[in-house]
Amino acid sequence: MSEATLLAVFEDLDPAASAIEKLHEMGVGDENINVISGVPVAHKILGRPHPWTNVSKLSMGGAIAGFAFGIFLNFGTPHLYGVHVGGQYITPIPPGAIVTFEMTMLFALLATFLGVFLDSYFPNYRPLEYVGEVSDGKIAVFFRISEADAKKFTDAMNTLGAESVKPAEARQL
Amino acid sequence: MTATSKYLSGAKEAHDSHHQEEDPKQYLMYDPKPRGEMNAMVMESMHTTSWKFWVVLGVLAFLVVTCFFFAWGYMIDEGLYVGGVMRPSYWGIFLVNTVFWIGISHAGTFISAILRVFKAEFRRPFTRAAELMTTFGLIQAGASIFMHMGRVWLSYWMLPIPNARQLWPNFHSPLMWDLLAITTYVLGSTMYLFLPLIPDLAMARDRSTGWRKTFYKILALGFRGTEGEWRHLTVAMNFFAFAIIPVMFSVHTIVSWDFAMAMRPGWSSSVFGPYFVLGALHSGMGAVAMVLFVMRATMKHMDYFIRKEHFDALGKLMLMVTFAYTYFFFNDYIVQWYGGDKATDTLLHWLEEGPMAWMFIQFVFFNIVIPPLLLWSKKVRETPWLLALIGLMINVGMYWERYLIIPVMLTINRMPFTWKLFQPRIEIFLTIGTFSMFLLFYMIVSRLIPLIPVWEVQEGQMTHSLRKVGKAKLPTISEFE
Amino acid sequence: MTVDLNLVGAKGAIAEAAAGKWGMTIDQDICTGCQACVAACAMENNIAFVGEEDAGYGRTQHWIRIERFWDGEYPHVQATPFQPMLCQQCGHAPCEPVCPVFATPHSPAEDLNLQVYNRCVGTRYCANNCPYQVRSFNWRDYHTVPELGNMVNGALIFPLHNQLNPDVTVRRRGVMEKCTFCIQRIHKAQDKAKSEGREVEDGEFTTACAQACPASAITFGRVDHPESLVSQLAHQERGVKHLEELNTLPRVTYLKEG
Repeated sequence: MSEATLLAVFEDLDPAASAIEKLHEMGVGDENINVISGVPVAHKILGRPHPWTNVSKLSMGGAIAGFAFGIFLNFGTPHLYGVHVGGQYITPIPPGAIVTFEMTMLFALLATFLGVFLDSYFPNYRPLEYVGEVSDGKIAVFFRISEADAKKFTDAMNTLGAESVKPAEARQL
Repeated sequence: MTATSKYLSGAKEAHDSHHQEEDPKQYLMYDPKPRGEMNAMVMESMHTTSWKFWVVLGVLAFLVVTCFFFAWGYMIDEGLYVGGVMRPSYWGIFLVNTVFWIGISHAGTFISAILRVFKAEFRRPFTRAAELMTTFGLIQAGASIFMHMGRVWLSYWMLPIPNARQLWPNFHSPLMWDLLAITTYVLGSTMYLFLPLIPDLAMARDRSTGWRKTFYKILALGFRGTEGEWRHLTVAMNFFAFAIIPVMFSVHTIVSWDFAMAMRPGWSSSVFGPYFVLGALHSGMGAVAMVLFVMRATMKHMDYFIRKEHFDALGKLMLMVTFAYTYFFFNDYIVQWYGGDKATDTLLHWLEEGPMAWMFIQFVFFNIVIPPLLLWSKKVRETPWLLALIGLMINVGMYWERYLIIPVMLTINRMPFTWKLFQPRIEIFLTIGTFSMFLLFYMIVSRLIPLIPVWEVQEGQMTHSLRKVGKAKLPTISEFE
Repeated sequence: MTVDLNLVGAKGAIAEAAAGKWGMTIDQDICTGCQACVAACAMENNIAFVGEEDAGYGRTQHWIRIERFWDGEYPHVQATPFQPMLCQQCGHAPCEPVCPVFATPHSPAEDLNLQVYNRCVGTRYCANNCPYQVRSFNWRDYHTVPELGNMVNGALIFPLHNQLNPDVTVRRRGVMEKCTFCIQRIHKAQDKAKSEGREVEDGEFTTACAQACPASAITFGRVDHPESLVSQLAHQERGVKHLEELNTLPRVTYLKEG
């Protein structure tokens, strides 16, 4: 039993949502459905499961790493070099607060940015399933079904108002 | 009819015309166009260049080569004596430029981060234009800081990298805090510029050919718009929006502490932190108004995206910031004036009556007196060229303010034998160089990346609708997140 | 319970121990304003001549300067005592914590404020923070300014280079400098005393400015030894410290209004 991936393009949110509902009815599981769109669409609008992300965990991890680094940098490293200036303690607290704060924020922001790259597998220059209409605001639903049912699904999508239904091919973006 | 009732009925007509139904379609969010059409408009504005564009670009490039690179190289080779710095104004225009450019850069973060956090929908079309100001402003600030150093080729000694010299940078120094804060801010705001840019780069990739397509393809990282990609992106952008606000406040506060930590009369003021932050917002907002006006005037289709409503909102922000800035300015000066020690007292009187009094008066008028007199009026706020002019005036005033704080206030210190007035020399050319470079970068980038975040505009338009309540159709905003 | 402020480390410590090690007194009532100290310091410490224009614009390199003021309005003008101003080698020096690269640390051995020429990157924050404005910056390679050299047989020579003191670094452009209390002389005397197995005696050596003063207005020595001349002079009733309210703990005591 060979598989096919079909890609249906819809112009608006409502037809796309009903299409996904129909796919559920016709027995396609959520893990076999993917939606690409030109604007972020909340998962509940389309009836999709809650999307996961590790970005927030990475942000927190980055913040903690940054905090530790800041503490080390300001309260640790000067003791290795032992230079006295201006009658101040060698590791005073007020400048320490500033250094620690900046390092916390820096690492948190870098970790968040890195998180996007890691979670989305950026940069991804391999051929991918995509249609240009998506960046024109259309919503593309692609789903994996067995080859035999292709016609059935195509008709269902067309009835619900799809602009086009065709096999999804991976192409160089 | 008696004269009184005639007068009253006339007044009623005038009053009624005031309350005519305003057409919601004048607002961008209620005037949606198909995304494909908006994409095409943005792409066209990127591709269209007139001969005037190239002439201005050429002039700016020439100025950058001569006034920035050549002049700076000459200064590195000869020494700082070609500038105007001396005892007692050891810091001159270079620090003024640094503070000025960091100030300009804060507006970008304010608009893209703070307005995002407060869900102010009017920010949607111009967040990227503002954020670009941040990135390019910070580049100029960094350049100015390096310019002021005596041995700039050894500036890497400020980096905390273990070395064979058994030496380490000094974290007691506000300049080190500057280094850490500005690095954090530059990296943070560049990343915050890039994240919302990815979907627009994907759009540009889909609609380009040739070298542009390769350029966008590489930068778009293979973004398609899958649910996962959007989720990661929006979570990251929300985190950035919240996180970069304290960074923004801390950066200019730390820059102000370069001055506040020093024991100079006029400088050693505990209110410098918020005073400088508000000053930064003040000049930055004015700069945004100028940039938006130029965008609308010189780029195709920008008048669809940037409308009267945006200038109106910007004008209201400028008014609020003027009030806040006036509060901190007054706080700073009245406290010093009231019970100041002899040196501070002499300094303040010298500012009012000395050779730089004209600058002080202009600064007070441009920043504090004139903006509220004009910005209260909706008509003024909705006129782009007028708001841009007010922005220019505020920026001139803010430049004077920093000029007064740095070289002028350094003149009056506790050792009267050293008092001498700063005279700018090569710094004038270098300042022209930084302004030219800022404009040059902006002009080049305006034709390389989409200046309008079209996906955010469409997202906004999708969430705005007109809902029938009773007899009226009321503007309504839904929450899509 | 008495609190030893020195141990607490508070910056407001004003105890005897904060008096320092090497110190100086300058008697403003005797100073004639002859500028011999300025000339001697320049010779001893390889200070460059900057030329008339730059000197007028506030770029003199002098580590000590004679400040002259007047009292009253013309024609009833009165001269005031001359004020030699030099680096006060502050105990709580405001110039020290602000240098980003530790180019001006405090010396634990000599209790002096050091200036490390080859570490300075030229941010000039120290100069801005010095309330006495005694720091000078090398705005240019003044030692090799073409206009101040002699063209001899097609080559530019600088005769003044012949009088440079080999014990002192010649600073290049971009570097901060200031009075060091002739630390090269301090070290020379300490080395000599150490090789002879003894301590440095009071009056065995002195700074260039003190040596040159014809009126003996400048006295230099160990302020932590109560029997030294400088210590006794510093504790006179006429002794004041300039800008004392800033808590910089200067090591230079000025004697005036006797």
